[in-house]
Amino acid sequence: MLNEERIRLMTRMVSYEENEGKKNIVIGNYFRGDYIGSQVLKAVISATIVFFAICGCYIFYDFELVMKDIYQIDLAATGRKIVAVYVLFTGIYAAIAYSIASVRYSRAKKSLKKYYADLEYLSAMYAEEL
Amino acid sequence: MTTLLVWKEYLKATYAKYEVYITPVAKFLLALIALLIVNGKLGFMERINSFSIVLIASLLCSLLPWSATMLMGSLFILLHLYALSLECAVVVFTLFLILYLLYFRFSPNGAIAVLLTPITCAMGLPFTVPVSVGLVGSPAGAVSVACGAIVYSVIAAISESVQALNSIDAENAVQRYRYVVDGLLNNKAMIVMVAAFVIVVALTYTIRRLAINHAWTIANIAGCVSGIVVLLVGDLALDTNISIWKMILGAIFSFGLVKVLQFFVFNVDYTRTERVQFEDDEYYYYVKAVPKIKMTKPEKRVKKINTPKRR
Repeated sequence: MLNEERIRLMTRMVSYEENEGKKNIVIGNYFRGDYIGSQVLKAVISATIVFFAICGCYIFYDFELVMKDIYQIDLAATGRKIVAVYVLFTGIYAAIAYSIASVRYSRAKKSLKKYYADLEYLSAMYAEEL
Repeated sequence: MTTLLVWKEYLKATYAKYEVYITPVAKFLLALIALLIVNGKLGFMERINSFSIVLIASLLCSLLPWSATMLMGSLFILLHLYALSLECAVVVFTLFLILYLLYFRFSPNGAIAVLLTPITCAMGLPFTVPVSVGLVGSPAGAVSVACGAIVYSVIAAISESVQALNSIDAENAVQRYRYVVDGLLNNKAMIVMVAAFVIVVALTYTIRRLAINHAWTIANIAGCVSGIVVLLVGDLALDTNISIWKMILGAIFSFGLVKVLQFFVFNVDYTRTERVQFEDDEYYYYVKAVPKIKMTKPEKRVKKINTPKRR
């Protein structure tokens, strides 16, 4: 015989798994530090690519000037300046990524709590039937 | 009004029943419109400037997530720009790279706003998406709308400066490149448009959240008016050559479209507003409850009359 309550619960859970829960379940598989760490690492890689792309654009824009001045400028000082700007840019972006990832992680955990409670209830229902 | 509400219920029921088919069709239509606009505005590469290619690409997009349509649109733009000039393609590729890596990594759901903003701008309905995002979304949606405005402005600026770009000697790559970068960075129309859209989203969102009667309608009107004001001030200050009448007409139509959206998303009866007060151990509560307008779908009764078989 069909258990209507169980069907309703399972439908709700499947709907959650296929929509909102899809991402949350993936996030829930990580420990907090691992999830945030991976997100920050991705952010650093993204920021690095963007920084070098912008640098490339800038150099090509002033190509003649750069070529003319390359033997006259203090390469060590310029290098230090570029590294400082890179660290600042990547740092700010990584900090933003960190805060977004931590908010997402806590939201996902909160949302999954209810899902796991439903899962336990469902398992109890099956146990009762047996 | 009752008829409209009954229609709304019918539409909701139809969508719920045929959602599996309606969503891919919607994705297909959106991709088709977006790619046709890109081809119409740019259209430098003949190979992809044909309806059959657009049709195939749109069909492909209908089976993939919304962000795939955005990627397809970007690919079409880059291919057209590559056909125009390599320098142009490189600059716009860098711009897209920045947008994808720095923003869309965090907000893949913003793809639809990024797609719809250039489409509605090209149709002369600039405030439709910013006001809608302010009403149904969050303030973070302003970034998606701003990205859409940047994409639209870049396409418009490049399509307008084709002659000037072609007049520069093809062998002088650096000069052509500089021309494109200068055009992008000094694009005053883009700056004004981005500022206007961000202000519209923020204002609409703020007013929509207020506990006042008709907050959504007031937010819609305020969003459209503030957009017009910012664009006008921008035009006066930076001389962006915006057509005032076209903009006002576009704002009126935008208001109408957003009203339609409001009808489906937020439909309440302010005449039956209830105000209640109660308390618990820690707080006093002053609650304003506004009932939703709901209409039950009339049931169709089919009476079958069976005529007895004659022998």
